[in-house]
Amino acid sequence: MHILGIESSCDETAIALLRGEGERVRLTSSVIRSQIDIHEAFGGVVPEVAAREHLEVIAPMLHKYVSRDGAGIDAIAVTAGPGLAPALRVGVETAKALAWAWNKPLVPVCHLEGHIYASWLGEGETPKFPALALVVSGGHTELVLMKDHGVFERLGETLDDAAGEAFDKVAKMLGLPYPGGPHIDALAPQGNPKAFDFPRALIDRDDFAFSFAGLKTAVLYTLRKHESQLKDGQFRADVAASFQAAVIDALLMKTARAIQKVSPASVVLAGGVAANKALRQRLRDMCTQLGVPLFVPPFAYSLDNAAMIAVAGYFRAKQGSFTDPLTLRVDPNMDIA
Amino acid sequence: MKYVTHSAEETRHVAAEVAAQLRGGEFLALVGDLGAGKTTFTQGLVAALGSSARVKSPTFTVMNEYVVDHHPTVKRVVHIDFYRFTTEAEVRALELETYRRSNIVIVAEWPNALPTVDWGVTREIHIAQGEGDERMIEVS
Repeated sequence: MHILGIESSCDETAIALLRGEGERVRLTSSVIRSQIDIHEAFGGVVPEVAAREHLEVIAPMLHKYVSRDGAGIDAIAVTAGPGLAPALRVGVETAKALAWAWNKPLVPVCHLEGHIYASWLGEGETPKFPALALVVSGGHTELVLMKDHGVFERLGETLDDAAGEAFDKVAKMLGLPYPGGPHIDALAPQGNPKAFDFPRALIDRDDFAFSFAGLKTAVLYTLRKHESQLKDGQFRADVAASFQAAVIDALLMKTARAIQKVSPASVVLAGGVAANKALRQRLRDMCTQLGVPLFVPPFAYSLDNAAMIAVAGYFRAKQGSFTDPLTLRVDPNMDIA
Repeated sequence: MKYVTHSAEETRHVAAEVAAQLRGGEFLALVGDLGAGKTTFTQGLVAALGSSARVKSPTFTVMNEYVVDHHPTVKRVVHIDFYRFTTEAEVRALELETYRRSNIVIVAEWPNALPTVDWGVTREIHIAQGEGDERMIEVS
């Protein structure tokens, strides 16, 4: 089965072509038009601006990479949510028009489900069920139990800020460019992770909820208290290292608790923050210790892309989860479960 | 009206009092430093309006929409965060006027990031941090 995947929920406009057979998928092509250069000027994402950029590039991208009449495509998969409504609409309306014009089945995909399915894009083994997924991105921090293809249960999520948002906010406090995650990741190894004792919120609570708002505030207070040292390279590295350690500790402790509770056959790291080297390494060490195989998507597919949407769409299409191309609406608050 | 709260729970109670006065069409400006409890306040407000939506920080998403099912006049809460906004052009691109409807309540964090914009604020809520968990909330 050949799937066309379309993604436009945030910064990136992306399309991908993928062939699925049984449990295996093989990527034919995947292209991403990033808007980070545009947003860097703003220090963030402004949705209507993003939507305009999506609109400008999506048709030329399809023209270049996809056959004019949809020949060879069996189904179209598109991110229907969650995300920025005006940005999502560009992908969804494009997919609806193509599905109607080509008379192809249309599969709406949850963006978070896509992130989890990015782990099916690697070489070799694919995750076994039940799989425990830690989804960490700018907008989300969730622990999701994937019992089978298309069967998800959310175990817990952040009660306030997402981990990626905390990375971006702390980076901004340190005067680092957007997106801040990679800059903190690069700065942290030069610092002492024990220099500052930042809070690990909710770790004593017997559930799978996260909270990063208090951590963000604690970093802010520390920076205010040591204002004269803000330009000191070692001080900045120490703050970055201590902050990053606090985020990763909280993520790992809740993940370990979930592993103990649900005894998953595999653990899947998903979302943009999966690109964080320290998180990958420490989660890998922990999973080795606990004897659970860890799946981390190939680096290029940790960030937003359409290949992961096409994979999720393939497994949905196999189950016949199609929607009417005339009535599909974006759902900015779409839930994975 | 001034309140002093000592926990997130008490802040949510104050938000519920504000929510009880809402009919739809309001623009609430939510002013306070990082970590003051703006998202906590919004959580209390949205829950008190009778919505089960899971309210989270809109900094990354810029704008969250929450459906309100059980309120006679309010059907939606639009939760916006202007934290990263730097120009009026970005605000214009949001086309906020399309959300100024009689069944929508707009809750805006960091409206003061753009001091020159006239938001048409109907209520202003200031949250100031005291010692520890203490918060001074002023509703006007």
